[in-house]
Amino acid sequence: MEISNQQRNIVVIGGGPAGIEASRALDAMGYTVFLVERDGRLGGHLCRWDRLFPYGTPAEDVLSQLTASMGRIKWFTATEVTQVNKLERGYNVILSNGLSVLADALLLTTGFTLFNASKKEEYGYGIYDRVITNADLEDWFSGIPVPAVDNPRRIGFVHCVGSRDEKVGNRYCSKVCCATAVKQACEIKEKFPDAVVYCFYMDLRMFGRGYEDMYLEAQKKYGVIFVRGRVSEVSEDKDGHLFVKAEDTLSGKPLRVTLDLLVLMAGMSHNRAVDPIARTLALSTMEDGFLKPKDSLTAAQASYCTGVFYAGACTGPKTLPETMAEARAAATSIHEYLQEQ
Amino acid sequence: MKDRFISGYNDFVLPFVIGMIFIITYLVIGIIRVIVQLPAADRKKFFLSLINPRLWIINLKDIICDVLLHTKIWKRKPLLGYMHSSIAFGWFMLIVLGHIETWLFVPDRLSTFYYPVFFRFFVMETDHTLKGSFFFFLMDFFLLVVLSGVFLAMFKRIRSMMFGMRRTTRNQIPDRLAMYCLWAIFPVRLLAESFTAGIAGGSFLTRPMYWLFSNFLTNTYHILPTWWAYSTLLGTFFVLLPFTRYMHIPTEAFLIVLRNAGIKVSHPRKGYSIAQIYSCSNCGMCIDACPMMGQKKNLRFATVYFNRLLRRRNWARCEESADKCLMCGKCVAVCPVGVDSCNIKQSLRGLRAVPAPADYSYFTSYSLPEGVENSKEKVLYYAGCMTQLTPVISKAVAAVLDHAGVDWSFMDRDGGICCGRPLILAGRDERAQEMIRRNTELIRQSGATTLLLSCPICYKVFRENYDLKGIRIVHYTEYFDELVRLGRITLRNSGEKIVYHDPCELGRGCKVYRQPRRVLSAAGELVEAEKHHDESICCGGSLGSLTLSYEDRKDITLKALDNLMYASPERIVTACPLCLKTFSPYSPNKVSDFAEVVAQNMN
Amino acid sequence: MIDFGYGISPSSAINLDKFDRTKFEELAREEPDVLKCMACGSCAASCPTAGHSDMNLRRVILLLGRGREDEALRMVSHCMLCGKCLIVCPRGINTRHLILSVTKIYQKK
Repeated sequence: MEISNQQRNIVVIGGGPAGIEASRALDAMGYTVFLVERDGRLGGHLCRWDRLFPYGTPAEDVLSQLTASMGRIKWFTATEVTQVNKLERGYNVILSNGLSVLADALLLTTGFTLFNASKKEEYGYGIYDRVITNADLEDWFSGIPVPAVDNPRRIGFVHCVGSRDEKVGNRYCSKVCCATAVKQACEIKEKFPDAVVYCFYMDLRMFGRGYEDMYLEAQKKYGVIFVRGRVSEVSEDKDGHLFVKAEDTLSGKPLRVTLDLLVLMAGMSHNRAVDPIARTLALSTMEDGFLKPKDSLTAAQASYCTGVFYAGACTGPKTLPETMAEARAAATSIHEYLQEQ
Repeated sequence: MKDRFISGYNDFVLPFVIGMIFIITYLVIGIIRVIVQLPAADRKKFFLSLINPRLWIINLKDIICDVLLHTKIWKRKPLLGYMHSSIAFGWFMLIVLGHIETWLFVPDRLSTFYYPVFFRFFVMETDHTLKGSFFFFLMDFFLLVVLSGVFLAMFKRIRSMMFGMRRTTRNQIPDRLAMYCLWAIFPVRLLAESFTAGIAGGSFLTRPMYWLFSNFLTNTYHILPTWWAYSTLLGTFFVLLPFTRYMHIPTEAFLIVLRNAGIKVSHPRKGYSIAQIYSCSNCGMCIDACPMMGQKKNLRFATVYFNRLLRRRNWARCEESADKCLMCGKCVAVCPVGVDSCNIKQSLRGLRAVPAPADYSYFTSYSLPEGVENSKEKVLYYAGCMTQLTPVISKAVAAVLDHAGVDWSFMDRDGGICCGRPLILAGRDERAQEMIRRNTELIRQSGATTLLLSCPICYKVFRENYDLKGIRIVHYTEYFDELVRLGRITLRNSGEKIVYHDPCELGRGCKVYRQPRRVLSAAGELVEAEKHHDESICCGGSLGSLTLSYEDRKDITLKALDNLMYASPERIVTACPLCLKTFSPYSPNKVSDFAEVVAQNMN
Repeated sequence: MIDFGYGISPSSAINLDKFDRTKFEELAREEPDVLKCMACGSCAASCPTAGHSDMNLRRVILLLGRGREDEALRMVSHCMLCGKCLIVCPRGINTRHLILSVTKIYQKK
C-alpha cells in the first residue's frame, strides 16, 4: 500500500535559516514537518545580525521573508530535543514540551556557535573594556547600547579570531569573517566618518559575488586601511586605550598602533548542543567537532546514519546563500530517501 | 662452633673470589675516574666533605634510608618498598651476621674475606652453641626476608600492576642474566645451608629442610655441588654487575656522598653524572611518572632509557631523548635514587649545541619605563615575556597591589628582555649570561628592594642564576600570601570549588606549594587533583622540550586536565602564564590565574 | 655587448634558479614545521626584540626558502629563544626547535 507523503514525519532540529528553508521545501512536497528551535524565536544567528554582506540587506527582512509562509509546518520555539531513539525504521524524537514524534527522517540544521573570543587571552576580550566582538558590534548597529563604542576615533578589526588557529583547535577558515569585517568597517565608518579604521588580516578571502566590490568600496569610499598581519597581542594604557602589536608583513616591520576600539571577528565553532545527539546516533564528527557528511562532494547532505541528514553550518562554516542552497538540497535528498523506502 | 677444615679453604670459593676481586677493582678505578673528572672546585668540595663530621652523619643517615631501607619507595608504593628493602637490607644483614659469627666463633678466620660468606660450610656445630642458636635464628630469619623479596621480584616481572606500576623497564640480556643470578642466589644458598645444617647447625628454615632432604637423599655428595653453585652464582653476578642495572647497589652510596658534598652536574658523561647514571636502578618508576608516556611512541624517551643510552654513549639517541624532554622534573621527583636527569639532559643539550654567534648588542636599547628610575618605589614587577600574552594576569596583579597600597612599578609593561631561563633550558647557559647581565643592570637602576614575578619560569632563574643581593626575589603566590597574612588584603570565600595546578617550575622547581594553597583556600573551597604537589602533571606547554610537536603537547594537556578534574572542581587555578595559555583552549571548565582569583575575591 | 647598468643587481633579486635547496631540505627534515608557515607575522609582532633588533622569524623562514641564508642567520643571532612565538603561532610551528635547527644546519660549513 502506498503511504502518502503526509503520513511521513520529518523532524528538523534547529530553526535557523537552514531549518526554516528546508522545512518549507519539505512542507511544499507534502511531508509533515516538525521544526524544533531551542531559542525563543526562529532565525538563529540572523536574529542577532543587523545587516548582511555584501549588499547591506537588513537581516530582519531576510528573516521575515523566510518565515512569511510557514504552511502546515509544526514549529516549536523554546523547545529542545531531549531524546532521540533509533527505531527499526526511523526515529523516536522526544521534545522538551512533552511531544514525542515518530520520525521517518531527521534533518540536523543545528548550525554553529560563535567562537568564544575570551579564549584568545592575548586579545583581552572580557579583560579590556574596549575590546568587543563582531556580534557585539552588530548589537550596537541594531540599537542596543554597547558602552565600548563611545565615539571611537581609532578602530581596529582583527580577522581570523578563533579561525585558522591550531592553538584553539580550529584549523579551518570561517569563511564569513573577512566579508563581515569589511562590511562592519564600512558601516562604522558611516557612523563615525572621522574615525581611522584598520583591518588586520592574514589573507583577505573575498570569494563571493559582490565581495570584491565591497572591498573596493571600503578602500575607495571609506578609506579603510588594510594591514596584512595578524594581531599578536593587545595591552592597555592607564586611560584604557588599547595598544596593539602586529607585524606589517608587507613592509616586514613590527607595527604598533593605539586604538579606542578593537573588534574581534569571532569565527564559527561547532555547536556543542548537537554533541549529545551525535553521540546517541553515533554520527561521525570531524577533528574540529563539526558533523561529518557521508561525502563532501556527492552526498554532502547525507550522514553515515540512515535517515539522518544535514544542512547548513552544522557540517562546517558556510555563508548564508550556501546554507540556503544546502537546505533545499537536503529537502531533495530526504525526498529521494523517503520515496525509496 | 669450630673450624671443620684446617686449611679453611675449598676450591668452590674461587668463582666468588674472582668475581669479588673483579668488582672491587672495577669500583676503585671507577671512583678514582669520577673524582679525577670532577671540576677542580667540585673536587675540593668533595674532599672537604670527607672531613666534615656533620656530613658524615647525614651521609650515614641517607645511605641507611635510601640504600638499605628504600624509604622513598616505601612512601610511594609500600609493596614495592618492601620488595626492595627486603632484598637490600636482608642481604646486608646476612653479610653483617656472617661477619659477627666469624668474629665470635672463629676470630682468626676474620681476615679471610670469603670465610664469613661461606661460614656454614667451613664450621661444625659443637656442644656449647647455645649462643649460636640465636645467630642461626637470625640468619634464617633474614634469609627468609630476602627470599620473600626475591619471590615478590619474580612476581613483579609477571604482574607489575600489583605493585602500582603500569609499566616496568624492558630488560636487556646482561640485565636478565644478572637478574636470574640474583633470583637464584638465595634459594641456592638456602639449599646449601640446609644440606650442611646437620653439621653446622641451623634454625627454623634450614633444619626442617635438612630433615626433609636427609630422608630421601642418603649420601652427602650433593653438598659440595650446591656450594659450588652458590659461589658461581655470586661470582657471575659480580662480574656481570658493571654491565647491568644492578650496578646501582654499590654506586648509590658514592652518589649520596657526592650529592651531600653539594656537587652539581657539569658534564653529561663525566664526573658526577657517571655516579648519577650508574646509580639508576632501572626500576622504571620514571616511566609511569613521565607525562609524555600517554603516547606509546614516546616510551623510548623515558628517563630510564636515557640513562641507559648515556651509559652506552649512544650520543645520537641520547640527544634525541634529551631534546624531547619537557624538563618538568617529575622523573627526578619520583626517582628513588634521586638521579638528577633534568640537569644531565640540560648539560647534554649544551654539549651538543652547535656554537653559533649571538649578537645581543641591541640590549642597550632597552630601558626602564619613564618614572621608574630613581623613584621611591620599592616593589618592581617583572611580568616576563609570557605574561604579555595573558594580560589577565598583569591586570589582576596590578589590581591586587593597588588595593593593598603597595608602592610598585611595572618594569616591562611595554616588553623587555627575556629572563634567560629558556636559553638555559636549551643548554645555552653562556648566551643567557648576557640577558642576566642587562636585566640585573636595569633592576639595580630602578632602586627596587623587592622583585616581584608572576612567571615561575622567570622566578626560578632569578632565584638561581641572578646575583641580586639586597633585593628580595618573590613570586606573587608568596607575596600575596604575605599580604593576606599581614591583613593588607582580606579575602571573602566565594565557596567555589577550585583546584590548584602546581606549575612545574614553581612546585618541583622552586618548592612553592603551601602559599598558593593557603590563599586559595581563603577564597574558595580548595580541592586537590589526583596527582598534586611534587607529582603534579605538566600542562604540556613547557619550554623545556625542544622537539615535542604541538599535537603531542595537546595529548599531554588533555591528560593533565583529566588529572585536575579528578574532584570535579568548578574552576582550575594555576600560577603560571604558560599553564594558563596551554590549558584554557582545551579545559572543560574555566581556567583562571591565581592573581585573578585573588583580585575577584578581595573585600 | 655594452652594459648599460640596467641589469638586475644580484643582491636585490631572488634567483630561484641559482638557489641550492640542499640545506633547506635538510632543515625541513630536521624540523618539518618550517614548511607550515602562512606568513601571518604573529611571531615577529610578539617578539620581545621587535623594535630593538631586526629579528623576524617570519622573514627568516621566507629568506631561507629563497636562498638568502646570510640575512637569515644574522637575524637568528639576535634571538633570545624565549618561546613567545611558539605560543602565538596559529599553525603550531615549533619555533624554538626551528631556530635551533637553523643554527645547527646553516652554521656548519
